[in-house]
Amino acid sequence: MASETGEKVGVYICYCGGNISDHVDVEKVAENVKEVPGVAVARTNMFMCSDPGQELIMEDIKNGVVNRVVVASCAPALHELTFRGAIQRAGMNPYLYDHANIREQVSWVHHGDAATDKAATLVAAAIGKAKHLKPLSPIRVDAKNHATVIGGGLAGLRAARDLSRRGTEVLLLEKSPFLGGQAAQLGKLFPTGENAGDLIKQLAKEVSDDSNITLRACAEIIKSEGYVGNFKITVKKSSPTSEEYIEKLDTFGNSKAGIGDFVPFIGLCPMEVPSQTEEFTQDTGAVVFATGFKTYIPSAGEYGYGEYPEVITLPQLIRMMARGKSGGKLEINGKRIRRAALIHCVGSRHIPGIHEPGSDGNLNEYCSRVCCSATLQAANEIREKHPETYVFEFYRDIRTYGRGHEAYYDRASQNNVIFFRFEPEDPPVIEKTDGSQYPLKIRVKDMLTFGEDIEAEVDLVVLSVGMVPNDISDLVDMMKLPVGVDRFLLEVHPKLQPVELAKTGILLAGTCQAPMDIGEACSAAQAASSKVATLLSRGYVELDPFVAEINIEKCTGTGNCADVCPVEGAIQQSETESDGEKVMHTRINPALCTGCGICVAVCPENAIDINGWTLGQYEAMVDAIAEC
Amino acid sequence: MATQANEGKILILATETCAYPGANSVGQAHSTYPANTYILRVRAPALFPEQFYLDCFEKGISGIIIMSCGEECPYEGAYHALAKRIDRVYKMMKERSLDIRRLRLTAICTVCNRAFLKEVNQMNDLVKELDEV
Repeated sequence: MASETGEKVGVYICYCGGNISDHVDVEKVAENVKEVPGVAVARTNMFMCSDPGQELIMEDIKNGVVNRVVVASCAPALHELTFRGAIQRAGMNPYLYDHANIREQVSWVHHGDAATDKAATLVAAAIGKAKHLKPLSPIRVDAKNHATVIGGGLAGLRAARDLSRRGTEVLLLEKSPFLGGQAAQLGKLFPTGENAGDLIKQLAKEVSDDSNITLRACAEIIKSEGYVGNFKITVKKSSPTSEEYIEKLDTFGNSKAGIGDFVPFIGLCPMEVPSQTEEFTQDTGAVVFATGFKTYIPSAGEYGYGEYPEVITLPQLIRMMARGKSGGKLEINGKRIRRAALIHCVGSRHIPGIHEPGSDGNLNEYCSRVCCSATLQAANEIREKHPETYVFEFYRDIRTYGRGHEAYYDRASQNNVIFFRFEPEDPPVIEKTDGSQYPLKIRVKDMLTFGEDIEAEVDLVVLSVGMVPNDISDLVDMMKLPVGVDRFLLEVHPKLQPVELAKTGILLAGTCQAPMDIGEACSAAQAASSKVATLLSRGYVELDPFVAEINIEKCTGTGNCADVCPVEGAIQQSETESDGEKVMHTRINPALCTGCGICVAVCPENAIDINGWTLGQYEAMVDAIAEC
Repeated sequence: MATQANEGKILILATETCAYPGANSVGQAHSTYPANTYILRVRAPALFPEQFYLDCFEKGISGIIIMSCGEECPYEGAYHALAKRIDRVYKMMKERSLDIRRLRLTAICTVCNRAFLKEVNQMNDLVKELDEV
């Protein structure tokens, strides 16, 4: 039975092999919904996602029985695209379809009559929405097959190289004079044991030799506009002014290294430092963020840091050990290190109420993930190269989560590293000794011995510091990027869209998103480059049609929508004259609109809506739920 | 858990990137909760004007839980716009003598099973109590 306005809804309800039908009387639901106005047919199948199930839908479309489709089955994330594909193959617009989730949100959580009643209600709501659907088409915009990668660390280098190999032209921007990022501050890398410098040199050479990649050091984006496929960025190249870069340049120069050379703990200098400031613009189709992280700097007095010279961070220990390679001794302040204490979770896993915010006012509640393996690697290196030095590790939990990382923990036990476990509210206390042959003593309530108070005198305390996001607030503000409560850039979804931001065409590669090790950062870089290549290689991009649309007949030009829109340029207003009267026109740029719907709520005339998710559709769903 | 015919209906507006997959996660764990709950998938609840909520109550919905992404919202500014709007809805509810506890704004992540169940059960207890009066 078609509705008064001609909608013929086909309802297709899945048994899901018993997953649904064990708790929902599927046939009863089908019988019930047949009575809903506008429903032309209601069918059931053991597996609606199977070929025979899809054929049911396609046949009804081809025979003109239905012109709207509702599928009631599992979560839409699993088969929404499957059914859209089937509908499209049958010659109907794929957006004339809605989905009722009667497995995860009904049969797996409710039982008996209640489950059947709720399934029928949700299907009725989907029918209500389906009757208000209109055909939509993906938004097609021309796209330049060019990507800009921000950051010349390992993730950025890797992303640039992979993009080029997929046929995308690349502009690689590095803010500092050096390539290598934080990896240049490391020695051996877990779990392979290869040298960080070798990895940087290999990738940097591949990038430098690639004619499809333009590399610019001492360069940063100062302006950005446009949208996926059509970004326009302005880049400023200038001589570095920060103390850190000037100091590194001095060290690099003193090492007699030249352009293209790598200096440990500095990086690889790919080109001359610009002598004067210059700006250039670049049209680019996508932007990959590989802006990395910085290491946590302990607060003054935190575990004695800054108070006692024998308290250092793990990156400082790594540098110290690298320097010691030539002399073969492990020393601090000219004294041999006989005992070293390594403390985990410094600057990570902060707990509100227990830990004090840092000088920037932030608590880092996340786990930095890589420090456990890095600390164990350092402990093993000390024990294996300097067996006369004892190592004590003070930890909250050992999180050697990656493949091959647990072996470091096992090896540390075999190397007679001694472990102490502390609770966050009872962290180790570092004190100066009085008249002892050791400069420091460390006290802790050790949970491995059921709360025994332990005291050890040591020559060195090493703080295993975590990762904190680099300050890229200028880029965040300029490009309107979402940032998580942890201050790292925030992906759309950690599993479903792990390297994409809500702003299409901007992707994430590596530790700008969250703490991760080099392997994971390179995986993210590969994922981001694959996404970009898929997006740009056709010369155009197709975007979801779920963006705002103006009903010109209703629009009175209040401008409320443009005022609240968070995306610059997504809603534009212009004034024209018509019959001597000034008329305000509102236009949407569908490529810029993210479809958030903030504009919908503020229009007094209901003249703006999000295609596919309109207010009217929601009202129809609520009506159906209220009436059932 | 069987639904009684006279149980008040609870509408859940669940964001497609956080709370909706969160509700699915509860399903995957086969954790039961009251069946008088109806989840609508939304991109960002900032879409709904104040009147939408009032209309829902007018239509007979007993309680509404907005399960947002909170500060993790992928749409810049949407969560703060929503929070401000809900403040205005509360004022309008008070003017209409509607108990403001019938509308709750919360944040549910993709794996927040316990929080989801807590919110749903609390709202269910509340609408039972309020609808009995």
